[in-house]
Amino acid sequence: MTNYKYILNRLTLIMITLFAVTVSASIAQDSTKAAGGNSAGIEEGKQLFTSKCQACHSGDMKSNSIGPALGGIEAQWDDKGKLHEWIRNNIALTASGYPKAVEVSKLTPVVMTPFEDLTDAQIDNILAYIDAKFTGKLDQPAPAAGAAKPATSESQNNWIFAIVTLVLALIAITLMFVNRRLKRLANDVEGIPTVEPLPFFRNKVYLATIGIILFTVSGYYFSKAMINMNRQIHYEPLQPIFYSHKVHAGINQINCLYCHGNAWESKTAAIPSVNVCMNCHKTIQKYNGEQLTDASGAMVDGTAEIQKLFKYAGFDPQNPNNWDESKAKPIEWVKIHNLPDHVYFNHSQHVRVGNVQCQTCHGEVTAMNEVTQFAELSMGWCVNCHRQTAVNFNKDAGSGNQFYSIYEKFHNDIKSGKMDSVTVKDIGGIECQKCHY
Amino acid sequence: MKKYFLIGTIIAGGLLVGCGAGNNNPGYSYMPDMAYSVAYETYAPTDALQKAGVSSYNGLPVEGTVAQDDDLGFVYPYKNDSLGYALSKNVKNPLDTVANVDLKEAERLYEINCGICHGSKLDGNGPLFNGGNGPYTAAPKNFMDKDVIALADGTMYHSITYGIRAMGSYASQLKPIQRWEIIKFIRSKQGKTATAAAASDSTAAK
Repeated sequence: MTNYKYILNRLTLIMITLFAVTVSASIAQDSTKAAGGNSAGIEEGKQLFTSKCQACHSGDMKSNSIGPALGGIEAQWDDKGKLHEWIRNNIALTASGYPKAVEVSKLTPVVMTPFEDLTDAQIDNILAYIDAKFTGKLDQPAPAAGAAKPATSESQNNWIFAIVTLVLALIAITLMFVNRRLKRLANDVEGIPTVEPLPFFRNKVYLATIGIILFTVSGYYFSKAMINMNRQIHYEPLQPIFYSHKVHAGINQINCLYCHGNAWESKTAAIPSVNVCMNCHKTIQKYNGEQLTDASGAMVDGTAEIQKLFKYAGFDPQNPNNWDESKAKPIEWVKIHNLPDHVYFNHSQHVRVGNVQCQTCHGEVTAMNEVTQFAELSMGWCVNCHRQTAVNFNKDAGSGNQFYSIYEKFHNDIKSGKMDSVTVKDIGGIECQKCHY
Repeated sequence: MKKYFLIGTIIAGGLLVGCGAGNNNPGYSYMPDMAYSVAYETYAPTDALQKAGVSSYNGLPVEGTVAQDDDLGFVYPYKNDSLGYALSKNVKNPLDTVANVDLKEAERLYEINCGICHGSKLDGNGPLFNGGNGPYTAAPKNFMDKDVIALADGTMYHSITYGIRAMGSYASQLKPIQRWEIIKFIRSKQGKTATAAAASDSTAAK
């Protein structure tokens, strides 16, 4: 009996030691992360940049888009306060005659949208993100640790902790055996008969411990798998043509809405018909860009893929003027983003009214050759965004969705006696789609 | 006994992890009839319709119909031929009589659909052409050229609707009112240079 107690005691000790080591390891990691350059601020800056700036300014900070490249912007402005002013209201700053503002305003034909509701802290976060992205800090596996500490990457830390844990565990086990041996010697001396210990596979304590660990681990993966059923995150099907969004929307800067224009107008984002492809590919018959590779790393011949398009379109590159558009066959693209049938999702409501960037839900499509599902499209994911997103009513500035202005009008009309009640019809109740969608 | 139970749990767990999506596999769903629509979804194949004898379905609006929100009281009368092109110059922009054309919206449409070739500056040097270095080899028209400034609104509309030379038809991407809005936008941009050109022309004529 005493033997059991000893083993139990030792086991508890080992468990506690292991637990303490793991916890301290994770705490240590968290603290290095926090020290490594305010990652929460950069994360906020990234979100703000994606929602407010990236529509015009390129996300890689190096190439010019509608707006100029933003890499190294802080170094270009001597006065940081003036840069903040420019971001909030560049029109006013240009009008004030500040020389740098006048110079920048001539860079592009499009006037930058004023963002008057941004706070100083938010602008600083955006600038921090731009700097981090431009200098490539974000692409490293871990943010560089503080100046006092030598820069160690997270994976290195993990290795150190693993080795320390292993060594401690070995010491604990050795001590346990030494302890048992000594106990037996002491018993022999005192003449107490020693009970031969059970082999480990019949030792109930071992079996129970292993059972609990297995149950917890397999339970974790089991419930995770059950929750993720029918969520198709990372789904990346083979398409009939190797169409690279990176080449079209990224390198060649074709606007998402050029092909998916219905995202602005209707529920579905529109898969372009063959004639939209042919708008450009009537002329572009060869692919001359950098070598394309598919998900498995195999080389893809861009020109051969364009030939596949011509087959669908019934277009003969040798004889372009005799092309009969009406003979074209649709390309059966594989749909990637599937919502369950019982969910109603409307693109125009998000893209046009909500002013949500395509990338918010679809990820950096401009960097994907073959599109993969970026978001999990789960209810929690939707609801989370709906909880956090501020609605831009902003009807005075003319940039908001102005939807609720009609309610304000009704409110005033009832107050002044112009109306006695608001019927369902007044708030869109006889629109066909309210019932028949 | 216990061992078999444990091994069974691990295998079952592993199998379920395999139900997630990835690469070419969309994964499994709990109730496929609730996840995948039984009714026709947008872009669903229409083979079944054709098998049922509905062979006239081609996804195009019936000829001569006008969309409800396209309330211009306007139907473009000409066909895609040289005669239509020649006659198109007589067609007036129906937005001429409309005060406050939303030029901001027109600019948005221009940037998305036209700017990629014709350039944000309307100089015929968009990112796809890029001074001849881009993938698009045909030089897009420079809208600031004198001959485009002289081009009638109706002819521009004809070109957008049916396409011209290397340019394809934008009828599937732009509604009639949007095409007219874009023409308005191009005119407003040309305006500044046009007045200057007209001034020099009139002095030359004298």
